[in-house]
Formats: sequence, structure tokens, C-alpha cells
Amino acid sequence: MDNSLEPSMQPVETPVNAGPVQAADRIKTIDIIRGVGLLGILLMNIPGFGIDPSVYDSMRRGLHNTTDFYTLKVVSIFFEGTMRGLFSMLFGAGMILFTMNKKEMPGAVPVVYLYYRRLLWLLFFGVINAYVLLWWGDILFFYALCGMLLYTFRNSSPKLLLFLGILCLSIASLKTSLWHNETRESRHNYLEAVAAEKAGKKLTSEQKEAKASWLERENWRPQPERIEQNVTQMRSGYIAVFNHLLPRNADDETWGTYHWAIWDCLGMMLIGMALFRWGFFSNNLTTKDYTMGLLVGYGIGIPVGWLIFTRGQLGMANIAQYVDTYRVNHFVLYDVKRVFLSLGHASLIMLIFRSRIVPWLMKALASVGQMAFTNYLMQSIICTLYFHGYGLGNYNKLSYHQLYYVVLAVWIFQLIFSPVWLHYYRFGPFEWLWRSLTYWKKQPMKK
Amino acid sequence: MITSSSTGDHDTEIPKSPLPSYSRIESLDVIRGVAVLGALFVSIWIFGGFSNQQQNQLLVISKGWNYRVYGAMELLLDGKMRALIAIVFGAAMIIFLNQTSKATVFAGELFIRRQMWLILFGLINAFVFLWTHDLLFHLGIMGILLFPFVRMSYRGLFIAAILTTLIYCGKNFWNYADKKDRYQKFLSVTALEKKYEKDSIALGAKGTVKAKDTLTKLEKQDKQAWEGTLANMKVDVKKDEGNIKAMHNLSYGKTWNHLLEKAQSREAQWTYQFGIWDLASMIFLGMALYKTRFFHNRFSSSKYFIIAIVCIAAGLLLGWFRLHYLQVSLHDFTKYIKGNAVPHDIFFPIERALLALGYACLLIFFLSVNFLSGIWTAFSSAGKLALSNYLLQSLICTIFFYGYGMGYYARLSQFQLYIVAAEVILVQLVLSVIWLKYYKRGPAEWLLHKLYYGHDAIPDNHTPGNANPPVTVIS
Repeated sequence: MDNSLEPSMQPVETPVNAGPVQAADRIKTIDIIRGVGLLGILLMNIPGFGIDPSVYDSMRRGLHNTTDFYTLKVVSIFFEGTMRGLFSMLFGAGMILFTMNKKEMPGAVPVVYLYYRRLLWLLFFGVINAYVLLWWGDILFFYALCGMLLYTFRNSSPKLLLFLGILCLSIASLKTSLWHNETRESRHNYLEAVAAEKAGKKLTSEQKEAKASWLERENWRPQPERIEQNVTQMRSGYIAVFNHLLPRNADDETWGTYHWAIWDCLGMMLIGMALFRWGFFSNNLTTKDYTMGLLVGYGIGIPVGWLIFTRGQLGMANIAQYVDTYRVNHFVLYDVKRVFLSLGHASLIMLIFRSRIVPWLMKALASVGQMAFTNYLMQSIICTLYFHGYGLGNYNKLSYHQLYYVVLAVWIFQLIFSPVWLHYYRFGPFEWLWRSLTYWKKQPMKK
Repeated sequence: MITSSSTGDHDTEIPKSPLPSYSRIESLDVIRGVAVLGALFVSIWIFGGFSNQQQNQLLVISKGWNYRVYGAMELLLDGKMRALIAIVFGAAMIIFLNQTSKATVFAGELFIRRQMWLILFGLINAFVFLWTHDLLFHLGIMGILLFPFVRMSYRGLFIAAILTTLIYCGKNFWNYADKKDRYQKFLSVTALEKKYEKDSIALGAKGTVKAKDTLTKLEKQDKQAWEGTLANMKVDVKKDEGNIKAMHNLSYGKTWNHLLEKAQSREAQWTYQFGIWDLASMIFLGMALYKTRFFHNRFSSSKYFIIAIVCIAAGLLLGWFRLHYLQVSLHDFTKYIKGNAVPHDIFFPIERALLALGYACLLIFFLSVNFLSGIWTAFSSAGKLALSNYLLQSLICTIFFYGYGMGYYARLSQFQLYIVAAEVILVQLVLSVIWLKYYKRGPAEWLLHKLYYGHDAIPDNHTPGNANPPVTVIS
């Protein structure tokens, strides 16, 4: 992993320190990538907003030539985890930018306090997003917590940052691996129990338990009653949806933080900080470098993504066969795919920006990225109101691929709304609120 | 919530006179020493395998010395020592951030670094020493979370302390409300079941086709959920057998596996559900008290004494009610849940805040009238070495009790456990006094300091506890 990254990184180190980048240019490319990540994140979130998760099981086991299936395939191979990856990377870069842009002034609040206040408010917004706007897939909560661990690394060398980032992601892979080992052990115990049974031996209570627990796992299917209950609840009023999502939100913020976010998000943030220090996001590399990034990123990311989807995700529909065939789970490669594919996406965006073929789109994307916080919360507001019962109640009414029409609509809206808003105002509405809260003082809004 | 400095509204919290010139605030060290060592009398239950089941059994029997002593410990110490630790931690946060004043810009950075290393110490305590109820991890995280609040005025901090205490009460209430909800669902499912039974009998008599008479899967799950809750509440010391067997295992690896889930659940589940509120409320209180110069003999001795008596009396009263209602609920939880709108522990957050505050006042009173001063000197030394002592407790107790050590887990009576705790405390008091004769810092404190100071060129004489703090820099 490390070695394959090197070629695209090495030539970079010199130009970065050549001097401060032109402010306008730098902010623009960072905002564009952030904008793409922000819009892209909805690709992965939309099923969470609008459809019962049993749809994945039926797509995996069903026919593989439907529009739904092709949509799933494209989204899984090309985008899964990468948009969150970009967003996390840019969040890490943003943390450096935040501390860089501020000078310590005598008598003023030290930057470190502003930094932590800002994240404390973000944590609060995350809680609001989950428990008030009722988006159970909220990521702000995790970002705020991870961000709090980044401060001391803001001046670290890119190599150290990259190392720490890879370390975090390796731990995530290790966890996947351990989980797979447990599954294999469970399968092993089951096979032993079955063999003993065939040999005519009486099973011990432990063996009986091992057999039952494996069979339960192998034969697990989404329960129709659960689906029905979920859909009914999601189409009900606000209080019902709140109560229905409460345990899930609490569980995610508890165990999601502990087992997942700290590795997944923090790892990407650290890598993002390293890339930022190398000048990657600030349009500081040569076109050749970005082309390299594109080729290496997609060259490794897409095949690995394809492997994970076709072998891993589909293979696991038949868990017994999968466990018997593979010693190591395909998902240990998940973060490899994420890093490279995110790198590829980011390089592609930089190249498009440089080629100046779609300046209007780039401008709109930059606006979306500049208002990322507003746009992220807005996605929650629009989608929950569209799908939940207290809004239009379209939960589980669209098929999987139809969900992406909603995505398209939201995209178009945000691509138009953001530049228009920024034409009149300095910040997005939620950015303004966040800023005002951080400085505990009403910030100027109008241009 | 956070007061801004740009409006210059901080002067209210600045002590008008310079702080006393002794390098460390004696009262804080004594309180810290008492809290960290005193906590062992409760931790020893978990170290030594005096389980919840045994405790609850004593409450159900509710007579005998075993019961009385357990009740007294539960009332006087359980949760209160942790509260005291958090109070001192809050006060120490402000001291730390004030006293590194020569490098104000750095103070925050050093603090964050220290907290991150503290988290790592906590992880080691939990996953290497295998002390499942480690507190360093939580203190590390809480310090980072609450860091921006050190600039708040003492009024704001008091309000924050009250709010978080109330939320903590609310958490206990909602936890109970969930169970109540489960019971309601159970009732409606069993009513349905009875109706089906009747229907099928009636239909059977007529000889017609059967009506819908089985519960759906979800209804069955609802029924089982309550039955599970009841089974959990049932006091039965036999439930401990598996755990005791596992704890007697000679292998470190197996013990590690056995304790992994407990330690993780303490770090994730407990933190999210209760720990944040449990600790934040007391850290806020500690910060607020420090800013009102509570630890600097702000009041007269007699006032400290009166506050102590009032707080302790009120806390004990609340605690007595808590234990009483716990006993009632242990006898028949179904009956309790039918008859009571609130759980037994709803006021626990207030109870332990009152008691912790009372203890702090009492200690300051003792110090101010020079009562037992020799003992407090020893506790003050232990308090200066709090981190080392805390980690040493884990080491001693895990090796003494766990299977891979001497394996006394669940083999000692409650009284014997207290004797062990007292011995450990005595040893630590003596060791602390001797150690400080030769060294400035405890071993763990030294290591932590080394780690967070790193190679930054900040002279060592600006360590916390050295300078006369120019509080204005922060406030």
C-alpha cells in the first residue's frame, strides 16, 4: 500500500513549500472536491433515508440483470466509501486550514479554544442531526470526535500523518479480519458437531449450541414482520419515527464511534492532512502528477472494488460456501479500495478543473463545497421530509434505482441554490450559525 | 453557553487577591488522595469478585453485619469517590491551563497532548492490566470534551453542573421508562394470548375452523423482552458461577478474552449512556468551585463544617431512600414497576454530588483546624502521586485476585476484601510519603509529563504547581 502510493507522492515535496499558494485558487479546488464529496455522500446515504435495508438481501439473492442490480453494482464498485473518504480527507485538511488561517493575538481567544469550541458545536449539531432531524446515518458526531484528536497533529510531517492514517485503516481491516475469523470458527464448530452426529455420537450441550448458532446465522433472512414494522413506523408521525430510530441512533453513536468511526474517519482525515501538506488539494502538483494519481488510483481502486463487490458482497449471500472458500474476507481490502478510489476521484476532479472544460460546473461545485455544512444538513432535512411519515411519507415506496432520481433532484437543487445563496451572502445559513456560536458573537452575513 | 473573551466579561471570575503562594493547593492534593485511595474500598468489590448478585442478595436478606457494612459502603463511598476525583480533575484543569502561563499558546496544546496520553494510559490500564473499570480513559476524553469550558464564568459552570446533573437523573429515569414500556407491551401481548385461548376453546366447542390464535414473531419477542428483564433482575448468586470459573483461569490470554467485552462496554456503552453526565457534572462543579476559590479557604472553618454536615446529611437521606427502594424493587420488580413512577436511583446523581461536596468541605475544615494533620500530610502525598497510585492499585489487585496471579477472586469474604483494600491503602500512603522524599514526581506522573512535554523547549520550572498563577491570562 505504502509503496504503491510513493510514485505519485515523491515529486510533490518540492513545489509545496515554494510559498503560499494563491488564496483564491487554493480555496477553490478544496471547495470543489469538498462539494463533490458532499454531493456524492448522498449516493450512499439515500438508501438509508428511503428504503428498508432488506432490499440489499433481495438484490443479492435475486436476478442479476435488473436495473436495481446494475445500480447497486455501479454504486458499490465506484462510490461506496469513497465519497465519505473524500469528505473525511477534506475535513482533516480543513482542520489544518482552520488553525493556519488564525494568528494568535494578545488578549484574543487562543486558537486552540476556538478549535475545540467549533468541534464541540459540531458534536452538538451531529446530535441534532441524529435525534431531531432524525437522520440515523449522521456523520457529524463522529467527525467532531475524531477532529478533537487531530489538533496535536496539525504540524506533523506528511509522512507521519500518512503513516498514522494507514495505521488507523489497518486496524479497521484487522477488525474485519477478526470478525471473519470468528465466523470461520463458528462454521468450524458447526461442521465438527455435524460430523460427530453422523458418527453416531451424542452431542454435548456446547456442540448443540454451536450447531444452532451457525444454522441461525446461515439461514438468517430479513423477517417480513420486521420489515413491515419498520416501514409502518417510518411512515408514521414524528414521535413514532423518533422512538423507532432512538435505539439505532444511540447504538451508532456508542458502538459506531468505538468500533468504526475512530478508525474509518480518523484514518482518512490523517491521510487527507498528509495530502494537503503535500499540496495535493491546493492544485499544487503538476498535471503529470494528477494524471498519475488518476491512473494509480483508478488502476488499483476499481479492480479491488470490483473484487470486493463480485466476490465479497455477492459471495457472502451464501455464507457457508464463502467461509469454506476464503480464509481472508474480501472486505479487508475495503480501505485499500477507498484510499485509491478517493485518490483517483480527487485527481480526476483536479484534472477537469485544470482543463477548464466545465467552468460553470466547477463554480457551482465550489459553492456547494463552500456551504458543505449547510448542504449536508439540508440533505437530511429534504430527505427525511420526503421519506418519513411526518413529511411526504415515501419511505420504501421507490425501488432501489428510483431512489437515485431523488439524488439527482437534490443535486440539481443544491448546485443551483448554493451559488445563488452565496451571491447574496457570505456564508451558508448553517455555516453562519456555526461560526456565530463558535465565536459567541453574531457574525456578519450579508456581502 | 461559552462566554466570549472579546466582550471582556470574564473579570467576575478572577480572584481579586493573589492566590496563596504555596506551590500546590494543599486541599486539592488531600482530597485527591482521599478519593483515589478511598475508591479502592468500592473497586475492591469488582477486583475481588464481590458481585452484584451477592450485593443484591444482602439487600434482599437485609439483616446481619454483612448487610450493614455493605449498605454503609454503598451509601458512603459508591460513586462518591469517583465524583470527588472528577471534582479535583475539573479544578486541576483550570490550574494546568493557568499555570503554564508563560506559554499560553502552548498551554492548550500541552493540555490536549496530556489528555491524549491519559487516554492511552487508560487503554493500557483496561486492556493490559485488565482493570475493566478503569477511569483514566474517561477522564482523558472528558478533559478534551470539556476543554473549552475552562474559560466560562463560575456562574455558567454552576449552571452547566446543574444541567448535566439533571440530565443524568433523566438518563436514570428514561432507562426505567424503557423497562416500564417493555412491561406494558408484555401485558398487552399476554392479554392477547388469553383472548386467543378463549377464542379457540369457544370455536373448538362449535367445531368450526380455527381462528387466528398464535402470536406473531414480533409479539413473541415483546413478551420475551420483558421476561428477559425480569430474569436479569432476579437475584441469584448461581449466575456468577461461569464468571468465577473464567476468572480463575490460569491463562492471561483467556482472562483477557473473558474481560474484553466488559472493558469495551465500560468504555463505550457506559460512557455514552451515563459516564459523560456522571463525570461532566462533577468536572463542571470542580471548575466552578475552583473559580469561586472554594479550595483556597474562601469560607471560614465553621462555614465549611456547616456546609459539610448539611450536604452529608442530605446526601445520606437521599441514599437511604435509594437503597430502600432498591430493596423493594429487588423483592418484586413487577410490583415495583406497577406502583412506582420513578426508579430507585433517580436522585443518585444529586446524592453523590452532595456527599462528594460534603466530604470536600469536611476535609478542608479538618485542614483548616489542623485536625489529624499528620494523616492528611500522608494523603496529600498520595494525592500528588494519584496517577501512580491509581495504576499501582490495578497492578496489585489484578495480580492478587485474577487467576493468572494469585487467584483470590471470589474467594474472600466482604470483610476480608476490605482488609485487603486497607492494606493496599496503607502501603500506598507509606510509599507515597517515602517516594516524595527523594523524587519530585511519581513514576507515572514523570512518564506522562515526559510524554506530553516531548522535546518542546519549555523550561521544566513551569510545570503545574510551580508558579504563582497569573489567572488573568486565561480568565
